[in-house]
Amino acid sequence: MAIQFLYLLSRQGKLRLAKWYETKSQKEKAKITREVSTLILSRRPKMCNVIEYKDIKIIYKRYASLFFIIGIESGDNELIGLEVIHRFVEQMDRFFGNVCELDIIFGFEKAYHILDELLIDGYVQESSKKEILKRVNQQDELENLDEFDNILA
Amino acid sequence: MAPSQMKGLTQFIINLRNSNDSEEEAKRINLEINNIQTKFATNLNGYQQKKYLCKLVYIYLNGYHEGIEFGLKHAIELVDSQVYSEKQLGYLAISILANKNSSKIDLNNTLNIVYPILIKDLRSNNEDINCLAIQYIASNFNLSDNASYQIDESDENSSEWLELIDMTYSFVTSPIHKPIVKRKAIIALFALSKLYPKVIINNNNWIPRILTLIDDKDFDIVISSMPLVEYVVRLKPQFIKSIIPAIGLKLFNIVVEGKCPEEYYYYKIPAPWLVVGLLHLMEQFFLMKDKDIPVLCISNLDDQTLNNFRQVVSTSIQNASQSIKGLPNRNSQSSILFQAVSLAVFLDASEDAIHGAINALILLLNSPDTNTRYLALDALTKLTSRSNIPVGVDDTIPKLFQLLYDKDISVRRKALDLLYATCTPLTFSSIINRLLDYFPFSDFSLKSELGIKIAVLAERFATDSTWYVTTMLKLLSIGGGYNSNGVSYIGNEVWERIVQIIVNNEDLQQKTCKLIINLLKNPLVLSANGKSQPIQTGLSENLIKVAGFVLGEYGHLVNDADTQFQLLYESYFRVSLLTRAMLLSTFLKFLVKFPDNDFVPEIIDLFEIESKSMDLEIQTRAYEYLKLATISSNFELAQKTIKPLPAFVNVESSLLHRIGGYHDISRRKSRVLAKNIPRKSPTADITNGEDDTNPFDDTKTALSPNWYSGYYRMLHFDAGIFFESPLIKLTYRILKEGNNILIRFTIINNSAKTAGTDITKFTVLELESRAGDTDPSYLLNLKQVPESTIRDKSVLEIEIKVRSVIENNESPILSVTFMCGGSFNQLNLKFPVLLIKTLSATILGSEDDFEKRWLQIGELLGTNEGEYTTTVIPSASFTYPNIIRLLSRLGFAIVYASPENPPSNLLIKGAGILHTQKSNYGVLTKVKSIESEVQENGYNIVVRCTGGGIAEVIALTLKEILQEDL
Repeated sequence: MAIQFLYLLSRQGKLRLAKWYETKSQKEKAKITREVSTLILSRRPKMCNVIEYKDIKIIYKRYASLFFIIGIESGDNELIGLEVIHRFVEQMDRFFGNVCELDIIFGFEKAYHILDELLIDGYVQESSKKEILKRVNQQDELENLDEFDNILA
Repeated sequence: MAPSQMKGLTQFIINLRNSNDSEEEAKRINLEINNIQTKFATNLNGYQQKKYLCKLVYIYLNGYHEGIEFGLKHAIELVDSQVYSEKQLGYLAISILANKNSSKIDLNNTLNIVYPILIKDLRSNNEDINCLAIQYIASNFNLSDNASYQIDESDENSSEWLELIDMTYSFVTSPIHKPIVKRKAIIALFALSKLYPKVIINNNNWIPRILTLIDDKDFDIVISSMPLVEYVVRLKPQFIKSIIPAIGLKLFNIVVEGKCPEEYYYYKIPAPWLVVGLLHLMEQFFLMKDKDIPVLCISNLDDQTLNNFRQVVSTSIQNASQSIKGLPNRNSQSSILFQAVSLAVFLDASEDAIHGAINALILLLNSPDTNTRYLALDALTKLTSRSNIPVGVDDTIPKLFQLLYDKDISVRRKALDLLYATCTPLTFSSIINRLLDYFPFSDFSLKSELGIKIAVLAERFATDSTWYVTTMLKLLSIGGGYNSNGVSYIGNEVWERIVQIIVNNEDLQQKTCKLIINLLKNPLVLSANGKSQPIQTGLSENLIKVAGFVLGEYGHLVNDADTQFQLLYESYFRVSLLTRAMLLSTFLKFLVKFPDNDFVPEIIDLFEIESKSMDLEIQTRAYEYLKLATISSNFELAQKTIKPLPAFVNVESSLLHRIGGYHDISRRKSRVLAKNIPRKSPTADITNGEDDTNPFDDTKTALSPNWYSGYYRMLHFDAGIFFESPLIKLTYRILKEGNNILIRFTIINNSAKTAGTDITKFTVLELESRAGDTDPSYLLNLKQVPESTIRDKSVLEIEIKVRSVIENNESPILSVTFMCGGSFNQLNLKFPVLLIKTLSATILGSEDDFEKRWLQIGELLGTNEGEYTTTVIPSASFTYPNIIRLLSRLGFAIVYASPENPPSNLLIKGAGILHTQKSNYGVLTKVKSIESEVQENGYNIVVRCTGGGIAEVIALTLKEILQEDL
């Protein structure tokens, strides 16, 4: 299950978060983002969450005002991809407490962090929900510790 | 909401969001970039650096990629910080700002920049800092699969790469680091291996350790290791069999037994990511090919493992048929179902089992959830094309036609795919007719694919050539239109293919001409299909193209050339330039074939008019044809130019290239026309999988120390100790039956007594036959795989089928790996598979009988072929009586043995039969003392055998046995 990219798109078509797990040139990335976004924004609700795009599959799901979009290889399991998205949303929800688009805009480095604990190089590395948040919170503590040090220094 | 500690950043984001238009936004951003640049010029503390880098990252996220490169230098400084959060942001900023590795030069440049900091952080004692560095490696040195470059030792900085790889590997195998570090390291190692594959290929001792990751007890380590393991197996397919039993057992435990730690439950489903991942991995293994031969097939699996997999699949299918509420749950459950179904076909499941799976999927077609319908169709397509079992005709196909009108185009497309895959000689005509009816109503984007699919199906299943031609012409008439871009719905391949077939089948030519004339006269009226107005098909370019060609070539076979000409002439000005050019050639053919008809002047006129055409192609043709027709009288020159078209030689249909989908779709036979559709040759069954010609072949497996005593004991006795160390003991028992030998090893955990630890991850890494690939003299089969965790003991069985004469140097090697108390161990043990092991005693009536046969062999084969003599001085333990015992233990019937006293002129005569699959051989042996002082001068061993050359093999084996001492 190799996820090639993940990005968050607002309903107005604004990119909110993007992570690429495949090496692509800036131009290619922009092209894919543009094409996929157009495809997805034009889809009506209740259509299926899988789109075949070139030789990959796009899995997307809308949560409130945001589309969560991932690209996976064509042989990969689509539903488990959907579950990866869901787990990511769940984790953010628990971290931010009822997450909304603004949380992700202002707390983007945290959102990235949660994502990094869930996926690395496009592969699921941690599927236990306790563990992911534990890691993120731990590092928050580390950061607080840093600040404490700073104050003392 | 988490408190953002950087006020400046928050303010910046708010300002940006308040911008009224993109111009204002760009202005603010440029202003800020300038501001940051000046700020960096001053002396900043870590917090400030972090803040400004954060702003740069945010600017980047908003799509402004220009003018922020200067941040890289500061990001590198920030990584050097002692403060964790600053270091973390430094890495984030580098990974965004460093020019990504779209070329090898970029990649090496990036390495040069980050190498010192990575090494420093990898060496750190703080695991969190290790993690940052590892994470950076994993997400920044990953090549896409289609990247055209790799690193090897010729690269200037290859030693830096090697150091990174070595350090990453040491994290992977480290016994002290936490799973979280190992997980990241595993994925980082995968990224690096793809970059520098030679490291894996050349590091034979790494592979077993990497492979055992798949059997780790930490679920997430298993998940993380799947891509790496798959990659290693692709490089070294011979190791594939070693990891399958562990995967089977793991899946069985989770899916069937429900053994899964609480925290890995996702809603009520145990570890869905792991289960789907492992099932997917298995599917990949079955699809994997090495030089077109599948590296894994069902016969390679032992019964227990196979059974585990089958149960996992059937349990998953059963689970899915229970109804559950709530979306998340259903998704993960269905994901397991779909994955299990794709694997089912490879497990050689019975037809019933496949039908069970098909039925479970068909139920899902009625689901209100679009995803489920879509994926069920996808899974059914895979299943039917791989198993060759079509879906039920009566109940399902109408459902599929219904789905062609689903509200989601993705579903419609999938339904079409499935109809294509499930078409059989029984159903093809109704399917094709329905598809033709569907064509006018289908989406524009679907039409081209639909056309090709109809064409391929018609060709593949056609039983009647008239039917074929009618159907195809119908397709062309219906599909004549263009979309808004002027691209024809139906590709050129379709009509070209029809023409090819007509040219190559003489009996079709006349028939087709008649059909075409009819169609041109009376354009097809489509059945209304629920709509109020019948649809009149317009003029179809594709049809005109075929008509132009066929009538030009074969029009003389039917009468009425005038009508033919009129029909084509009328359409001439209604078609595209390309088609007109074709029609010009047709008219030239008419001219030659019917020089006396009334339309001849019209043709000449047309040529004249068109030779002034604006289009160069038309102009050229018209001018040339005009000259051909007019230069000499009676069109002599033209006649010489126009010759009947020869049959096509290359008759492979180009349509098949246009059909995507699953490559395993087997091509069913067509009765009449499509003799030329390439069929897959049945792939040869691979017996042992060992591959001597592997391009990355290892040097020969190095045997573990102390292997010989076990080998020798097994040569000698049918039961005993094969190997022993403080950790592990292997005992064996050999059961012989004709040419089949079964060796049953019992693996005993020695460390249980001494240290009280279990042996874990016991894996049969490889069973390396030395018998050669083509026509091997024996076959090995791992009949029973031991448990991977051995508390006390476990059993390993190897079955050997002796097919023909085994040379003495062909004994196989058993490689096993296991963990014991934190240490990783590998044993490579050779065990004797020798011809003499198939020997069984034969009862000869008397010594005279023996002598008679002895002479017979001599006469028949001569002493060169049939006899071999060697001299041996036995080791001290082989006294004369012991030799007699040895011979009978090996399987010789002792026909005669001289008394021990006096100890001179000792003579033993033994007889036996060697069993191989190809034939059996009689073996006679005489062991004679050379002098009276037996122990010093030894014996002559003379062996005669009914098979040429075999005597030598047996005599040398006997010599080896007698010479050695335990």
